Amino acid sequence: MIEVIISALVLASLYGLVAIGISFTWASIGMLNLAQGFIFTAGGYAAYLFATFATNAHVSGAALSIGVLLAGMLGSAIAGLFVGAIAFLPLHDRENFRTRSLIATLSISLIGTQFWLLLFGPQNQPLPPIFGDGRVEIGSAGISYGQLGTLIVALLVLGAVIIWMRSSRAGLQMRAMMMNPLGAAVVGVSVRKTGMQVLAISGALTGLASVLLAQVFFVSPTSGVQPLTVGLIISLAGGLGSIPGTVAAAGLIGLAEALTARYLQQSFVPFVLFGIVLLILTFRPRGLGGLLEDVRE
Amino acid sequence: MAILELTSVSAGYGPVRVLHDINLEISAGERVGLVGLNGHGKSTLLSTLVGLTGWQDGSIKFEGEEIGGRRTHGTGRRTPHIVRRGIALAPQGDAIFPGLSVKDNLDSGAYTSTSWRTRKERRDRVLDVFPPLAKLLGQSAGTLSGGERRMVSVGRALMSDSKLYLVDEPSLGLAPKISLSLVSALSSIDIGDGAMIIAEQNLPLLAGRVDRILGMHAGELKLDVGEALGDVPPSAGGHH
Repeated sequence: MIEVIISALVLASLYGLVAIGISFTWASIGMLNLAQGFIFTAGGYAAYLFATFATNAHVSGAALSIGVLLAGMLGSAIAGLFVGAIAFLPLHDRENFRTRSLIATLSISLIGTQFWLLLFGPQNQPLPPIFGDGRVEIGSAGISYGQLGTLIVALLVLGAVIIWMRSSRAGLQMRAMMMNPLGAAVVGVSVRKTGMQVLAISGALTGLASVLLAQVFFVSPTSGVQPLTVGLIISLAGGLGSIPGTVAAAGLIGLAEALTARYLQQSFVPFVLFGIVLLILTFRPRGLGGLLEDVRE
Repeated sequence: MAILELTSVSAGYGPVRVLHDINLEISAGERVGLVGLNGHGKSTLLSTLVGLTGWQDGSIKFEGEEIGGRRTHGTGRRTPHIVRRGIALAPQGDAIFPGLSVKDNLDSGAYTSTSWRTRKERRDRVLDVFPPLAKLLGQSAGTLSGGERRMVSVGRALMSDSKLYLVDEPSLGLAPKISLSLVSALSSIDIGDGAMIIAEQNLPLLAGRVDRILGMHAGELKLDVGEALGDVPPSAGGHH
């Protein structure tokens, strides 16, 4: 049972990072970013390239681990800005921006997969283990260094981002834009500048998830598809735009996936996850967020 | 000296033309009332000044600098520049941030980097104008009453380091007593060599509290309604 809970927490923290990126982007600029999977993969490949380069240069140990994490976050942040330059900046003040940007990000996602395939080939690429090999024993169960490190790093970075959003001027501007775009405009917040900042930060969070998940799986041209799907499920269930709602939904979905995989079968996971989000949206159309805080009016 | 000068300004949204050929000059130190019925273009005129309409044409000079011109799209693209240049708008519907505290809502009005550093003094000044906000600072703005929201919205505009303050319908949806105290507060603020435009449906509410009243009808300006009505003495500005 402890192992199921640990695995649920690890899944929840990884998917939560992706989902919060999707949720931020939707709440602040009204764009449902279907290219989040492309951004995820970009971080994985950036980390892979850095690891290859660093290993050749005989970098190892903590420097390699930190470098791989940072390279993944940077790669995804740049990919986020790239998506913004194509799907946000030219379109945001046109009619039907939501539909247009949905189509634009879907296109980037589809073309992006082929682009990675051309560039890196279809084979899976491994990343070096960041947290080393080993286990901590808790009673009869154990938690691997990889799981423990993933949890700690994910929670630390997420906590830092939330504190920064609540205390800094840039963070206040982002939250203002999420709550009332007109209000943000009249106090001089630039939608374009702040929107790009949101895309970069959402990207960096996704890139972190990408590197951490690659500790278990590999980097491949389609490795962003599953995180995108689950990220969308969580951000919808959490009530797009609500941080507490997203965190709660991530926990719920992570637990559901861990339980399903352990007691039923891995192949049932998508059915269960989509079933949960359907149930939540049937009874709470605004997701879990409305239960936990005042969301956007 | 004219702080604001509009020459044949037109504006609207998509195929709809709301403002027709507006000419207007506002001097430094002036407090101007803009009256007219709902849907006749008061809000659109204020929105045009900060670049928030769908399109616009004609010249808008603010302290001699052109902030208008012809534009067919790009709603809000120039707004940050204009706001930073020194025009603050308290828009219709308040547009406050429901999940932020009253304090954070007010502070958001000081986003321009020079006023951010002095936000505490600025906040104290706003609290002098709207004392009821003092004990609500920690409260989430989404839980406020209509009158308190309006104070937050207007207070947020006053937080900025602006030369021109635009207040859209301060009395809308408020009880008469509350709107009266709000407009009185607006007329008592020291605007120095800046200026203020108050758009308002309720003409008697402005009488005697502004220097000049302009009428708006079907998207056109009727200058100096107040004098025609004879109920605004020429020098009855709120300098008390």
